[in-house]
Amino acid sequence: MSATLSVIPGPAKDMNASLALGRKRKRANRIVKTLCLTATGLGLIFLASILATLLSKGIAGLSLTVFTTSTLPPGSHGGLLNAIVGTLIQTVLGAAIGTPIGLMVGTYLAEYARDSALGNAVRFVSDILLSAPSILIGLFVYQIVVSPLGGFSGFAGCLALALIVIPIVVRTTEDMLRLIPSQLREAVIGLGAPKWKMIVLICYRAAREGIVTGILLAVARISGETAPLLFTSLGNLNWSLSLTKPMASLPVTIYQYAGSAFQDWVDLAWAGALLITAAVLAVNIVARTLLRGRK
Amino acid sequence: MSEQSEHLVKSFDNDLKKLTDLLLRMGGIVESQVSMAAEAILRHDAEAATRTVEEDLKVDALEREIEQFVIRMLALRQPMAADLRLVVAALKVTGDLERIGDYASNVAKRSVVLAQFPAGYAMGGLSHMTGLVREQLRSVMDALGHADAEKAIEVWRSDRAVDDIYNTIFRELITYMMEDPRNITPCTHLLFIAKNLERIGDHTTNIAETIHYAVKGEVLPDARPKGTSAAFAIVRPKE
Amino acid sequence: MSTTIEQSSTHGGVQTRPETAINTAKIDIENLDFFYGEHRALKSIELKLPNRQVTGMIGPSGCGKSTLLRVLNRMYDLYPGQRATGKAMMDGQNIVDPGVDLNSLRARIGMVFQKPTPFPMTIFENIAFGVKLHEKLSKSEMEERVEWSLNRGALWGEVKDRLHTSAMGLSGGQQQRLCIARTIAVRPEVILLDEPTSALDPISTLKIEELIDELKNDFTIAIVTHNMQQAARCADQVAFFYLGEMVEVAPAAQLFTAPKEKRTQDYVTGRFG
Repeated sequence: MSATLSVIPGPAKDMNASLALGRKRKRANRIVKTLCLTATGLGLIFLASILATLLSKGIAGLSLTVFTTSTLPPGSHGGLLNAIVGTLIQTVLGAAIGTPIGLMVGTYLAEYARDSALGNAVRFVSDILLSAPSILIGLFVYQIVVSPLGGFSGFAGCLALALIVIPIVVRTTEDMLRLIPSQLREAVIGLGAPKWKMIVLICYRAAREGIVTGILLAVARISGETAPLLFTSLGNLNWSLSLTKPMASLPVTIYQYAGSAFQDWVDLAWAGALLITAAVLAVNIVARTLLRGRK
Repeated sequence: MSEQSEHLVKSFDNDLKKLTDLLLRMGGIVESQVSMAAEAILRHDAEAATRTVEEDLKVDALEREIEQFVIRMLALRQPMAADLRLVVAALKVTGDLERIGDYASNVAKRSVVLAQFPAGYAMGGLSHMTGLVREQLRSVMDALGHADAEKAIEVWRSDRAVDDIYNTIFRELITYMMEDPRNITPCTHLLFIAKNLERIGDHTTNIAETIHYAVKGEVLPDARPKGTSAAFAIVRPKE
Repeated sequence: MSTTIEQSSTHGGVQTRPETAINTAKIDIENLDFFYGEHRALKSIELKLPNRQVTGMIGPSGCGKSTLLRVLNRMYDLYPGQRATGKAMMDGQNIVDPGVDLNSLRARIGMVFQKPTPFPMTIFENIAFGVKLHEKLSKSEMEERVEWSLNRGALWGEVKDRLHTSAMGLSGGQQQRLCIARTIAVRPEVILLDEPTSALDPISTLKIEELIDELKNDFTIAIVTHNMQQAARCADQVAFFYLGEMVEVAPAAQLFTAPKEKRTQDYVTGRFG
């Protein structure tokens, strides 16, 4: 064996050469590592400064009246109640409309149309929708719903948000269902189960964490969307729960208040930004715990 | 065996070849033992007799080696089909060869005793018989070396001739003993010698059967062409 | 194990298992072809699966042995472009006939896969899932059925105190026995095992083999395995597949000591190039 080993080509076993090579490699390693660390540090500094600004300015504007009073004219100690409730309503409704549709489309793509032409077309369209600028979706809903009905409405806002939810849920649902090993599917089918039972009783259960995470991420995404709401629910300075009238929302309110000349409105905008950030963070944490917790 | 293609694991082929080589070596020694034993009786060659007995040690050692090797192969290689048959056949053949060696050395020992008596008995028959037995043994080892089932069957069939000669010699010796009681001692030795040669023939036949099974995978019919020798008491040479 | 030795008889120098009901074929495959699109993966297969016996299927990867199992419970119907022609008769019914009701066919012909596939639910629910598909049982009947099948699957003793915990927490070997129990619970007539122990350690493997030996009293079993020793240990008859053909079928003892076909010989002795 030793005879054959010595024939194997390779660098000569020269001690000094290999030491020099080792030093060169270490140096290159250090340079790359330093570059990476610098980039990471820069990113962290920006993030931290954003958070710090948000916290310092947001907490300054935060008070109980923010949660108890609706938006009022400048100088009269208004709150954000209508915007908070409006965002909650539109987010929940948007998710409620978008999730089932997204779930079914995702299921169709993963279970029924894996390699069919129609499936590929649907997947393509869904992916385009996923990366489409959200203001386009706002414009679309404006054309389809707001214009014909002759006015901005909370319902139109919900629809716009639902349109954002759908492709996200489609993507996560399909991906999660595809992760299920085909042997598990075959095992269910092998017991004599019809396909729909396989999907509903086993596949959804097996992919539950992933799908729920996808939905929560979609919720986090739409709760902070401004652009699609500008053309749909518009925003409402007064208290209103009606879906047929313009409806307030946090992002739009922030958009309107932050640029105003009145200090109390600017403070409220910061408080609203902090609230959204906190909520999105909370949803993200829940999503991640769910994903990790059961595995 | 020889006409087979190679194993994916080359060392398995080497093991099988080594096993066949060991068997052929043992067969060679046993063959020479039988030849020397024949010399010892027919030519009163005392030196050949001694060497026959000495060779038995080598045969026993080889038998143990082959046994160990077979057990090792069964455990480590887990041979299947033709390989399995060959490995198991080796175990059986080595046992038969060892017995043949024992019979040969028993014949050699008796030849020494026999040399003390005046010659003149039925050496013609014995000479013929040793010739047949030696030929059989040689053929069977050839069959083993070439994995030749046809040749093995030939040997298997030819055992009948050995049995027939044995019966003839048996009757002849009985006649001698009845003629003159002084013949009883040498004739008894000759009887045992004939009996031992007959047993060598039987073991050679066993080897032929084993080879046939190893090569073809089919068992030969139970009814072997046999003389009536089975009716007589069997001599255990090593007691 | 000792019973096998007592019952076994010697015939022609070759050990055989007791020959009960060997004559009736549970599944009789005749001139069966299978296609993955244009590729003909099975070529005119002729094979009988004797009632209440274990048929082992061996052969190199891609030889068609697993494909044959997937034909027998119509698993290929899940995938477009796969089709079978010919006959696979079970009790007078052609399995590959497009008109066959797949769900009831699969209830009669159960399958266990290479990797354990426990469902993401409790042990109890895993067993009950398959039963509920085909029968309406009361709570107590269901409990009885679950205990029965876990017993038959040689798993009851190990899980009886944690029936309502997740099946994912079982070891690999236990999961595989759970899958077998789950298949048995539906009370099939035929059980197809597709390399059931290839993902298991030797002890779990032996437990499954012992289980197979036990199960053949009630079920007709077909097992695909890459492990020849396993086929030798478990199977009554063994079929050798090569390049989509069924080359040779014979009692296990004969196939492994004296196969008739050169290709079988080359494969079982490890001479395939």
